Amino acid sequence: MTATPFRIIVCDGTSCINKGSRKLTALLREQLDKHGLIERTTIGLSGCLGMCDKGPILVVNPGYTIYGHVTEADIPEIVEEHLVNNRPVARLVIQEDHLYNRFFRVFGDAKFFGKQMRVTLRNCGIIDPENIDDYLSLRGYEALAKAITEMTPEQVVDEVEKSGLRGRGGAGFPTGRKWRLTAKEKTTPKYVICNADEGDPGAFMDRSAIEGDPHTIVEGMAIGGYAIGSDHGVVYIRAEYPLAIKRIQKAIEDARAHGLLGKNILGSNFSFDIEIRLGAGAFVCGEETALIHSIEGARGMPRPRPPYPAVSGLFGKPTLINNVETWANIPVVILDGANWFKTIGTETSKGTKVFALAGKVVNTGLIEVPMGTTLREIIYDVGGGIPHGKRFKSVQTGGPSGGCLPEKYLDTPIDYESLAKAGSIMGSGGMIVIDEDACMVDMARFFLEFTQDESCGKCTPCREGTKRMLEILIRITEGKGKPGDIENLERLGSMIKKSALCGLGQSAPNPVLSTIKNFREEYEEHINEKKCRAKACKHLISYEIGDKCIGCGACRRVCPVGAISGSPKTKHSIDKDKCIHCGLCFNTCKFEAIAKV
Amino acid sequence: MPTPLELIKKKRAEAVSRIIGKGYLSTKRVYVGMATCEIAAGSKDVMEVFQKAVSRGLTDVYLSQKGCAGRCNLEPTVEVIEAGKSPVKYGKVDKDRAQQIIERHLKNGEIIKEWVID
Repeated sequence: MTATPFRIIVCDGTSCINKGSRKLTALLREQLDKHGLIERTTIGLSGCLGMCDKGPILVVNPGYTIYGHVTEADIPEIVEEHLVNNRPVARLVIQEDHLYNRFFRVFGDAKFFGKQMRVTLRNCGIIDPENIDDYLSLRGYEALAKAITEMTPEQVVDEVEKSGLRGRGGAGFPTGRKWRLTAKEKTTPKYVICNADEGDPGAFMDRSAIEGDPHTIVEGMAIGGYAIGSDHGVVYIRAEYPLAIKRIQKAIEDARAHGLLGKNILGSNFSFDIEIRLGAGAFVCGEETALIHSIEGARGMPRPRPPYPAVSGLFGKPTLINNVETWANIPVVILDGANWFKTIGTETSKGTKVFALAGKVVNTGLIEVPMGTTLREIIYDVGGGIPHGKRFKSVQTGGPSGGCLPEKYLDTPIDYESLAKAGSIMGSGGMIVIDEDACMVDMARFFLEFTQDESCGKCTPCREGTKRMLEILIRITEGKGKPGDIENLERLGSMIKKSALCGLGQSAPNPVLSTIKNFREEYEEHINEKKCRAKACKHLISYEIGDKCIGCGACRRVCPVGAISGSPKTKHSIDKDKCIHCGLCFNTCKFEAIAKV
Repeated sequence: MPTPLELIKKKRAEAVSRIIGKGYLSTKRVYVGMATCEIAAGSKDVMEVFQKAVSRGLTDVYLSQKGCAGRCNLEPTVEVIEAGKSPVKYGKVDKDRAQQIIERHLKNGEIIKEWVID
């Protein structure tokens, strides 16, 4: 008998729970115990696996054997036959061949991936991204071939619309509707654009997707071209992603060499090719109209909509522009079907979402979870919780355009609507976990500083408004806040939201407004008591030397302004008038004798 | 005239046979993470160690790069996959660990538990 550890995953999606999956988990434990297998078996729960019609679902690893329609009576048989005798119970095994399954054959037994569902990142980490054979071997370009062979362009649009897929760039506009609007335009030529201008600080979803599986994007765009009647695609990607550029470039060349791009794709009447345009890294160029200007060679600035790019986009022609992650969903929608796709997710938001999980969390990483997964599941089950026993304080979603949500929102199932209702946004997928050591006012200042810096300057609310807001915030963090500042921030923030020209300006006040809404007491403390509870705002803290000081003199030597005095081997002291709060002494002391107060 | 769907299925079959021709069915497949993040964490050095071993005669190994699987804090990552066995995922692999994975795991079949990601 082998001593392989088993990992059993029980689908914990709503549908499977309703069909009694939680009871199965308890029974499973009982049976494992009976056979003495409990020690070397772990049971994990997963988010919805998208096989609701066959639930409850149970997956046994190694091997990624999927059991469907499992009843309580089946559990003893599965444990005895499969785990003890190594004979999978054939009558219950379901042969699911969804594109995402392959990823889990490699990674399905790792706890980190338990609640995840890798649909758009299905090939990231399991194939060689620079080898088209690897992609072809995993049904690559089959969705494109299927579309060309069996579907009319209208049927492709119908399928995308039926899937309920929404734009993954942030705003969540229904993808199918966008396709239909562009398809119905009569003007030619039409253009297809992939927006790979990822700019949120701390976000790396698009980079990883392109670096790990560039052909998916190429295939998605070609299907888009077929659906709307375009033969010209453009990937707009920022120049600071050299490896991603190299890989998508190679993918395009390899696809051409295989007749998967270019004239008469796969012997059909459909022709489509893709070129790459590099962006210089301005944040605003992620906004679709600014991006289009940048491709045209003009200055990357947004313009008022309508007309939307669907009607008048690149060079004034109808243009279909989608984000990297949206494109990566397209082959799945076509090959696994809209009916399957829409089983994943919530009422209003279908499918999965990729997040770049960062900040104060044990497992930082690139994750993909079904819509409807709660923030708690993401942070604690996938992310492994907060390191060093610190307390959770807030989670920032949506990057500089999003907001900070406090603990009470942890059990919110995430989708576009629920996040907006809570005062944040889905955004493109940045997710930063914040622990008790962070100051929310300082956090808001950081994000606003970013958007203020990236403001293109075209419209006054964004150019001037964010600047004024930032000035107030800086004052507050320096201990010079005055009564009325909070109200001013709120007033300015809501005005900018209503009047700015593009998404950048309209969302720039979000980090400030959401922290005021959820952490107002911290603002009040900064202003009224000149106190920063997280001890992060350096002007609001002072340093004191305590009794642990042995008089080694290390702090005295590093102090750049000579504020520390004391004779060797006696307790030192800090002259608070001279101190510039740089924190060097605090970081230098080996005896924990210096405290922030 | 074959349909595009028939053509792509033929292409897939050809791709599969090319991959097999490169030794895909070797007993052990080794994947080294080579996205920007993995490279920044040092995976190029790791890849070099494996490449050298293969060029110096390490057999029955199919070596490939891969994109990022998302385990940022444990990069560089390396997977060793054998038919019929649980895929083994190693984290924080440096030159020294790579060398040991070659000696202990690839040559002697030992799974080096302390580096395994679960």
